[in-house]
Amino acid sequence: MPLRRLLPHYLMIAPFMILFAVFFLYPILSGLYYSFHAWNGVTKPEYLGFANYQKIVLSRDFATAMRNLLTYVAITVPLGVLVALGLALLVDSFVGRWANFFRNAYFMPVVLPAFLAATIWRWIYAPNFGLLNMIIGWFGAQSINFLNDTGTMLYALIAVDVWVSAGFNMIIILAGLKEIPAELYEAARLDGANKRQQIVHITIPMLGPVLFFVVTYGLISAMQVFDKPWLLTGSSFTSYGGRRNALLFPVMDMMGRAFGGVRFGEAAAYGFLLTLAIVLLTAAMFGLRRLKGWA
Amino acid sequence: MSTLSKFRFGLAGLAALAAIGTAGRAAAEDVTLQYWVYSDFGEGDALRLQQEFIKEFTAKHPGVTIDIVAKGDDDLTAGQVAGAASGNLPDVFMNAQSVGAQLVEVRALDNIYSKWMAMPESFRAQFDQDALKGCMPKPDELYCLPYTGFGSLLFRNLTVLEKAGVDTSKPPATWDEWFAQMKKVKDAGMYAIPDETLVFNSIAEIYATSGSTESWGFDWANKKTKIDPAIMAKVLKKFVDMKPLSSGTSRNDQATKDLFISNQLAFHTVGPWVNPTYEEAAKASGLKYDFTLIPGDEPGKTGGIRSYEMVGVAPGPHADLAFEFAAYLTEKAQMARWAKLLSRYNANAAAMADPEVAALPLIKVSVDAAHGAMDVAAPYFGGSVPSCYNSEVIDMASATADGQHTPEEGAKELVSQLNDCLAQ
Repeated sequence: MPLRRLLPHYLMIAPFMILFAVFFLYPILSGLYYSFHAWNGVTKPEYLGFANYQKIVLSRDFATAMRNLLTYVAITVPLGVLVALGLALLVDSFVGRWANFFRNAYFMPVVLPAFLAATIWRWIYAPNFGLLNMIIGWFGAQSINFLNDTGTMLYALIAVDVWVSAGFNMIIILAGLKEIPAELYEAARLDGANKRQQIVHITIPMLGPVLFFVVTYGLISAMQVFDKPWLLTGSSFTSYGGRRNALLFPVMDMMGRAFGGVRFGEAAAYGFLLTLAIVLLTAAMFGLRRLKGWA
Repeated sequence: MSTLSKFRFGLAGLAALAAIGTAGRAAAEDVTLQYWVYSDFGEGDALRLQQEFIKEFTAKHPGVTIDIVAKGDDDLTAGQVAGAASGNLPDVFMNAQSVGAQLVEVRALDNIYSKWMAMPESFRAQFDQDALKGCMPKPDELYCLPYTGFGSLLFRNLTVLEKAGVDTSKPPATWDEWFAQMKKVKDAGMYAIPDETLVFNSIAEIYATSGSTESWGFDWANKKTKIDPAIMAKVLKKFVDMKPLSSGTSRNDQATKDLFISNQLAFHTVGPWVNPTYEEAAKASGLKYDFTLIPGDEPGKTGGIRSYEMVGVAPGPHADLAFEFAAYLTEKAQMARWAKLLSRYNANAAAMADPEVAALPLIKVSVDAAHGAMDVAAPYFGGSVPSCYNSEVIDMASATADGQHTPEEGAKELVSQLNDCLAQ
């Protein structure tokens, strides 16, 4: 096709391409460059080869952060989707004012600022007199220090995360539910299918593409978890991750190296390791989608 | 037009052009300084007074505008580090002395020693000498002017103490007296104190009841901790003893303040910034409280920590003007007004000695507290404190209080871990 005919098309996509190049491509490429250098943000970068990557992978904090992340992702994503699916089915069973009420109520945590959510949950988890410990106390059990006991800290975070993310996922799943033709349920009912059979054999298969999006998005978000554990543990650049680093995650470690230790080269390398993990996981998800025929 | 007239016309034209040029230059000399402060300086009375300082300064400096920007602790550091990397630093800014080393490393702070020495002796003599030393890693290097600060205090809930049968007329003079009062409070079914092992600063506050700046902080030359294992063992024992008496919340938790206000918590060791909240509660719900020094092991010794916020100047074309503004802010007259308005301690010793300021109860106790307290992370500007340092201190204090180590084992292991951390 002659260039003159293509030119308007290129011109139309040019604004996006320029912005993409300036705000995405350039930072990514310069980050990749700095990841091979010792750089504090100001002085001349000093080439180190793979030393930054090696230092990170061999560090104790990296191992802890990755272990925490794996456990967190393995629990929070499926649990979050299950809760969201349950809520969506519940809200879908209501009509009119009640449907609106429940939809808004469950969505509220999504719009709540993270620091406010963390403050509320710090109160709920407070030892001795916090809401949860009061309930536990009614059953005669000992008070639990949810945010300082290394055995409970991760699960306390997962509960907060599910509480926050369920509303967002619920809205997506709810939209998917509305797209399922009513005739399918009608036919199933005529064939004698009960509610559970309708969910297993109609709802979930029909929601396949929606659930794929929710799970993939959930995985990518979970891999980058930062604000909730940071706030729940009262972290700062000089001290983060909570007791025994039980709530240390890769992005927190990366931020600490960048702004606490002023080691931007190392932080860039950390970012690339994390990006690589996210890309691989997302590719695996897309491979699974092709395999299942959801594409 | 005659030749002379043409010449005159030409001269007039040149003069007009020169005038326009001068006006252009004058306009180009208009300067806007960026002034970054902590978020609590950017609201309410504090902001109004800061704006007044700015107005007074700019009135004496035509063409100068100063934009004040308030930021949270981490945002302030991240913004200054990122600003240094991008060449877009604020001209004048606050931060804690404890992050000074990072800011010097990224060249966010100008060495203001020559400007400082050019100031009159009457100005230089106003500052608290310990606070000033904190800004001077070497004799000819000065990276900040000490600004505001605090010495930690012991807030006492008098209602709780009276219910527990404690004589509130005189505050505890020693650790033993204080601990005995804590036990009485617990026996009366209330909480004595927050869990002091959860936050680095509260651990330091209790350490100071036995130790001092000389046995705390860093030996940057040898990359070793200055913590004395024998003192730390004694302090860890105190955490073990306090554990069953504590509320389980940290000194910074909102829940801790709520417990204090609702007469369920007897003591709160913290900086004077909680006083407005407690003062408000006293008016609204009749909270009965006071503040005193944190008692140390012997009579006359006090615990607690002190820390100063600094005001720094970025290197660059506006560094002279920025220093002038920083000097104006930290000068006695402004610091005395600041102290009177907010009842808050600062690093201008001359302002603190002003009779009207010194008569304010919170200032009076704060001055004594700061003099007896331990520097929280000294020496400053020597090196960046790795994050593992604070984490190891918190982890070991919590673990020992939970019974996972004996205080002696915990102290020994902690010192070894801290040395490993600093050596990284």
